[in-house]
Amino acid sequence: MHQPSGAGVIEVDRLSKRFGPVTAVDDLSFVVRPGRVTGFLGPNGAGKTTTIRVILGLDAPTSGRALVDGQRYDGLIRPLRQVGSLLDATALHAGRTARAHLWSMAQSNGISAHRVTEVLRLTGLEGVARRRTGGFSLGMKQRLGIAAAMLGDPPVLMFDEPVNGLDPEGIHWIRGFFRELAAEGRTVLVSSHLMSEMAQTADHLVIIGRGRLLADLPTAELIESSARRDVLLRSPRAAEMAGLIAAGGGTVTPQDDGALVVTGLDAAAIGDLAAAHGIAVHALVPRQASLEDAYLDLTGESAEFRAGAMP
Amino acid sequence: MSTPSLPVRALDLLASEWTKFRSVRSTYWSLLVAVLTPVAVSAVVAFAFTSARNQGPPPDPLLPGVISLEYALIAVSVMGVLAFSAEYSTGLIRVTFTAAPRRRAVLAAKAVVLGAVTLAAGELVAFISFWLVQAVLARHRQGVSLGRPGVAGAVLSAGLLLCVCALLGLALGAVIRHTAGGIAATVAVILVPGIAALLPAPWNGRLGRFTLLDAARQVSALHPATNLFSPGWSLLVLLAWPAAALAAAAVLITRRDA
Repeated sequence: MHQPSGAGVIEVDRLSKRFGPVTAVDDLSFVVRPGRVTGFLGPNGAGKTTTIRVILGLDAPTSGRALVDGQRYDGLIRPLRQVGSLLDATALHAGRTARAHLWSMAQSNGISAHRVTEVLRLTGLEGVARRRTGGFSLGMKQRLGIAAAMLGDPPVLMFDEPVNGLDPEGIHWIRGFFRELAAEGRTVLVSSHLMSEMAQTADHLVIIGRGRLLADLPTAELIESSARRDVLLRSPRAAEMAGLIAAGGGTVTPQDDGALVVTGLDAAAIGDLAAAHGIAVHALVPRQASLEDAYLDLTGESAEFRAGAMP
Repeated sequence: MSTPSLPVRALDLLASEWTKFRSVRSTYWSLLVAVLTPVAVSAVVAFAFTSARNQGPPPDPLLPGVISLEYALIAVSVMGVLAFSAEYSTGLIRVTFTAAPRRRAVLAAKAVVLGAVTLAAGELVAFISFWLVQAVLARHRQGVSLGRPGVAGAVLSAGLLLCVCALLGLALGAVIRHTAGGIAATVAVILVPGIAALLPAPWNGRLGRFTLLDAARQVSALHPATNLFSPGWSLLVLLAWPAAALAAAAVLITRRDA
């Protein structure tokens, strides 16, 4: 069957959502594509959940729009077959069994009871299918939420903070699961406030802060830019050292406090250079920024910018 | 993937809501209370009427059965409110609306499931109570038979009360979205207009004819009161209460963020 263009694509287009005086999402645009895991990153309160809710047609946007497969969510006939989602794993009726919960969802979208059994097996819940969910641990509820998202075998999947409450084994399982889904050609959007988590799972990152887009780039690119190494050098004859380093092929960035930040030469080369010219060195520190630093830089800047913009 | 037709989708939603309805224990407890309380009360009310020697027979031989049905209205109202409020308080409503983004269709499906069950329960209780009451009254030669003109229709109409209150609760649960608030509002809407009965004549009748409970008694009476609407108009009043609440719910359910 011919696949229409834009199949499996989530498109957020100039989306804004205000709750009274609070702007949760501010002119946000990005596209999520199939075949890879897209991490949706931002600090708590950045607007991730609101964005996902608008995509799912739960919250009405103040302006802009969100489309799945070029359609508004509330235009989908049997949405669970097109979009699987997990917003809040604890959103369950405590008195209902896992199976009855899934079966009621399945029925609403014309999905078979056989598929309910399948997703229970897929998430390792077949043993507790007939137990009331009130007795489930958070991890079991997360698995049940993932089972629910998979009910319609959908090409598009969205998970809001799915790792919360999972034990290390569960986290390992879920990472592999997301990668598998993406490898099958599905669109996978996973939100998280933890950079470290996304670095290990996502192929692509959409980073937001205060409701605004901060970055939309491949994870590898962010890692590369953050893996920049430099060397901090302090010397009483800094100006002389700067000249020598530049002549030796390094790049020098003088700091306000008189220190030099050097790239292009490693600590050993700089030390040798200083020794060869008899220049004292007071500090010679190789530095490496982490991915976490890069993320904090991004989201921190947005906070500063916002604070500065206040009247 | 073929697009299912509208009737198929409506049936899917009904099946889904039916599964939800029967898969929680509160449904069974509420139904048990809604059925057993009036049945137990009906015999007691009938005895009370016949044993009060100085009072004579009840003003209407069907009244004891109607009064006993009113003892079930809180149980069915709670059942109605919970159908939505339980989903809102747990967040499950978002799961429901992502599975079925047409929210009014969800409201309609819940109303059909709840309405059908409480209608069946209401009729069951109305007829059991009728027979119990008449069995007691018959010992004092005050009973009436189901075959007498007007009796069967009045008993059938009495059975509507539970369905009416359940649907009112369902609608107010969807509007208020909190269990306690929804129950309080539903009970208030049913009972508070009853203060009209305390007004001096003719205002007790002029306002009382619009109340849910007086309308319910009027449609269920063998000898309808003369200062209220006719049974036909009273039936409209009775149905207008849940209809108005459901209309309000249908408007708000799509306007508000879930």
